[in-house]
Amino acid sequence: MSFDFDAGKYAVYLWPAFAISAVAFAWLIADSVAGARRWKRQAERQQAELDELKP
Amino acid sequence: MDARNTFDFLTNPERFMAFSRWAAPLLGVLSAIAAIAGLVVTFLVPEDYQQGDTVRMMFIHIPAASIAIFIYVCLGVASFLALVFRQALADLAAQACAPIGAVYTALALITGSLWGKPMWGTWWVWDARLTSVLVLLLFYLGYMALRGSLEDEQKAARAAAILALVGLINLPIVKFSVDWWNTLHQGSSTFMAKKGDGLPAIYAWPALLMGLAYLGGFGALWLVRIRALVWRRKARSLSLKLAETAR
Repeated sequence: MSFDFDAGKYAVYLWPAFAISAVAFAWLIADSVAGARRWKRQAERQQAELDELKP
Repeated sequence: MDARNTFDFLTNPERFMAFSRWAAPLLGVLSAIAAIAGLVVTFLVPEDYQQGDTVRMMFIHIPAASIAIFIYVCLGVASFLALVFRQALADLAAQACAPIGAVYTALALITGSLWGKPMWGTWWVWDARLTSVLVLLLFYLGYMALRGSLEDEQKAARAAAILALVGLINLPIVKFSVDWWNTLHQGSSTFMAKKGDGLPAIYAWPALLMGLAYLGGFGALWLVRIRALVWRRKARSLSLKLAETAR
């Protein structure tokens, strides 16, 4: 068995399908991780500010 | 064992955060391994005698479509728990899975369209399966739009949960549309299909591995997005406390 990357006349349909899926997953991962990090940092910063204000 | 204690880690935000801290990366890694193995096998299997090389698109189209339906079931269950039992974490879970479901549904439509052009000779046809999947996408988008359009978060959550529950009606239509109506979209072509309609057995491995990759990917992304919403809620409550303290 060997890899078959030659899609012939169907390449114009096959590769965009894989490329669009890869881009969609890359965006989903980046957006999800960035959102979690952003809100975690903000919550931690506000907690620190609140701790500083407490007598 | 008391069921309430068994699932406590899914309803108690602190325990959920402790659980998801290791579960999300673990699922992500397992999903990536399945995706790499699935892609390798996808390009190792021979082309189909009827579909040619386009059969390889089935290994990204079928998982996207199947998991998109599964995600909507998760959205419906989480919305029900949020609406009836007022579980805050369930509401966040519902909110977190909508964008993932929308992307999976869009991928199912796009990859299906790219497969349909060479096989059917058309990008799109208003048959029952394609139309009901488009309606599924509209329910996801409507859910997100409704949540974002109301300023009162509790009202937005309630309205969106009701919309999500209404959308559950569409799921059996998506699933059985190919049986109930005469559609251009073929009936089930998975390995559970009627004899003669399913994909050949040689395609079982790429289909299984890519299915696991898409499912694991959803699980990991869902947990990460719920974590983000838990942090956001905490940040908002801390900003209120800060404003009160500053007075």
